[in-house]
Amino acid sequence: MDEKDREILQMLQGRFPLDSEPYTKIGDKLWMDEVSVISRIARMIENGTIRYVGPFFDSRKLGYTGCLAAINVPEAEIEKAAEVINQFAEVTHNYQRKGEPNIWFTVIASSEARREEIFSQIKSETGVKEILKFPAKKLFKVKVDLD
Amino acid sequence: MDEKTRELLRELQNGFKLETRPFLRIANKLGYSENQVLQTIKDCIEEGIIRRIGAAVRPEKMGHSCNALVVWQVAADKIDEVGNDAAGYREISHCYERECPPNWPYNFFTMIHAKTDEELKEIIQQIAQKHELSNYKVYATEQELKKTSMRYFPEESDGNDK
Repeated sequence: MDEKDREILQMLQGRFPLDSEPYTKIGDKLWMDEVSVISRIARMIENGTIRYVGPFFDSRKLGYTGCLAAINVPEAEIEKAAEVINQFAEVTHNYQRKGEPNIWFTVIASSEARREEIFSQIKSETGVKEILKFPAKKLFKVKVDLD
Repeated sequence: MDEKTRELLRELQNGFKLETRPFLRIANKLGYSENQVLQTIKDCIEEGIIRRIGAAVRPEKMGHSCNALVVWQVAADKIDEVGNDAAGYREISHCYERECPPNWPYNFFTMIHAKTDEELKEIIQQIAQKHELSNYKVYATEQELKKTSMRYFPEESDGNDK
């Protein structure tokens, strides 16, 4: 990744032009032609730096209810627990972390009832005693904007 | 939200194509004009339905390989001060006050992406010192088990949810 890639990424993260020719617009700002902009983005998608270019929705505004949750499982059962948790399309993020609890995941469900259904299924299929739930109270920031 | 808008947003969440006029392709597919597509996106941003337009990146691919969830105990009357300060760090991507289960004292959550362990520690210490926070816990990321974007506007539940 070179300086030009970083400049493109910065624009993609913060200021995607809502224009009929967005990549030309990005190129104009960065002194590049559209073909180079597109081929650089394509390369960053291919090598995994970029995983998506498009709109990000506010799940709450769409009537969805999100929740961060955590469980603790023995090291040897992490893979199995991950499989149980990941089976739900509503689970968007799932990480193994150092410490206790060691599995942290997010659920975005279309209703609270559905959310609880997912939690209780995870509980029974993994055999954990409890799921710690951390629903958001106040959002200060959600934005990955790195250089 | 009407069905036509839902249909458009459902299409948009597939991501933008890398071509000269990505919005024209979507417009043609759904029977809109290119301008209508752009206007609908702008309206949704205005209404807050769309938070932002752009790229989702993988921090670890950008050299930010020391990632940690850090949870803090912050007094209620200091939450805004700490929250706004933490939100100003580029290395902090997610920053929330959260409800907590019983026996869990940490009510403020930050996701930190650093390039090195030293940098991670430095950011944590800076925040701790500045706001006199002594009770916090670091959950370093060991392994990504799943990371996707939520698929909204499912076709099968059309008209049922709002």
